[in-house]
Amino acid sequence: MANGELGYAAVDLQRGAIAILDPDGNVTWADETWATEENETGLPGVPIGANLLDAYRSRGETIAQTIANAIVAVFDGRATYFEIEHRPNGENGSAVVTSVAALRGNRASAVVIHRGVGVRPAITARTPDVRPRSGELIGNAIERLTPRERQVLDFMAAGLDNRAIAAKLRIQYTTVRGHVRAVIEKLGARSRLEAVARAYQSGWVAKQ
Amino acid sequence: MNVGAGALDTRALPVPSHIALFHRGEAELRDHALAFLKEGFDRPNEALFCFGEPSVGERLLRTLEESVGRDLSPEYRAGRIVVGQADPDVDRQLDNVIGPLEGFRASGFTLIRFVGIVAWDVPTFPPPEDFLWFESKLNELISDFRVIALCPYDVAHMPARAIAYGGLETHPLVVSGGVLRENPQFIAPDRYLRERLLRLPWLQGETSA
Repeated sequence: MANGELGYAAVDLQRGAIAILDPDGNVTWADETWATEENETGLPGVPIGANLLDAYRSRGETIAQTIANAIVAVFDGRATYFEIEHRPNGENGSAVVTSVAALRGNRASAVVIHRGVGVRPAITARTPDVRPRSGELIGNAIERLTPRERQVLDFMAAGLDNRAIAAKLRIQYTTVRGHVRAVIEKLGARSRLEAVARAYQSGWVAKQ
Repeated sequence: MNVGAGALDTRALPVPSHIALFHRGEAELRDHALAFLKEGFDRPNEALFCFGEPSVGERLLRTLEESVGRDLSPEYRAGRIVVGQADPDVDRQLDNVIGPLEGFRASGFTLIRFVGIVAWDVPTFPPPEDFLWFESKLNELISDFRVIALCPYDVAHMPARAIAYGGLETHPLVVSGGVLRENPQFIAPDRYLRERLLRLPWLQGETSA
């Protein structure tokens, strides 16, 4: 990594912790829980300011070595970041690392270049693609949209904001607002983006 | 660029700029955001825009008043300082940002300093997926304005998703550890909807954000 670039992100999305490393491998900041849960079985706690690589290399467990390897991959430029997946470990409230993956790219379109398996195999693949769904949860919601609302939904799905939609359709901004609220409500969504996601998942809006 | 606890060197920044400020707690936020606003306050041709949840923008303004040592009501009444409020409806939130920016531009200010305090999954803010869309959209919408937008993310309190998807993927520049850097994790707005928003785990059937 070139000196001065943004440090590496080590992300544990399931646990809600994230640390960014400086070019020397030191944790420049981290979620408090990441830093303090040293005694949590199977989870790699490293105090803020400690050297992440040294911390894992010095530990004998296979999983710690796997994490160290992932960090090295990042430092060598073979990976952009790494992710740790884990799950609760039954009754004692601890957690087990299920896999460590070194990835290249960003979190929207990353390629796994190395995955090490932890105590148990990872159960799920990482971020799924947008999958067409049958729409059974929403019923015939799309049919309740007026032709104008369907037009508005198409523009929402293209990422346009209300002002841009108003300009495209040559109608009042306030009218667009009303259509957007109606679309969200009729699709049973809680938000603008959830309505868009449902439209894609149900195949109402074609993937471009 | 090391900005330490002081102000960003705005002369070295492109205009417009959209910057994520990663900070730990209130004290660090005050150090950076206040210094950024105060520098603008000392330049009469610059405007200040404090934005956040209800009362958050006002609190930032009060802190700025303490910092400059006087009542800022004259600047507030004159429209040089604006306090904007977040809204659970993302379209209204966009209006609450773009409207004042248009007002500043019409008044001829040479630079607008925007500080938008970020919140995540709270009732007074748009839902997380809408907020992420808003953050990404801002990159397009501010292109017509002479604005430097600073978005503080409290890494000591916000969930990883807010940092990873919001702070890191929607801002071309970040301040992390007191250092301003270009952000290699940034995803351009024209790709963000399809490559990130439609793949958000909680829109795939997962229940919590």
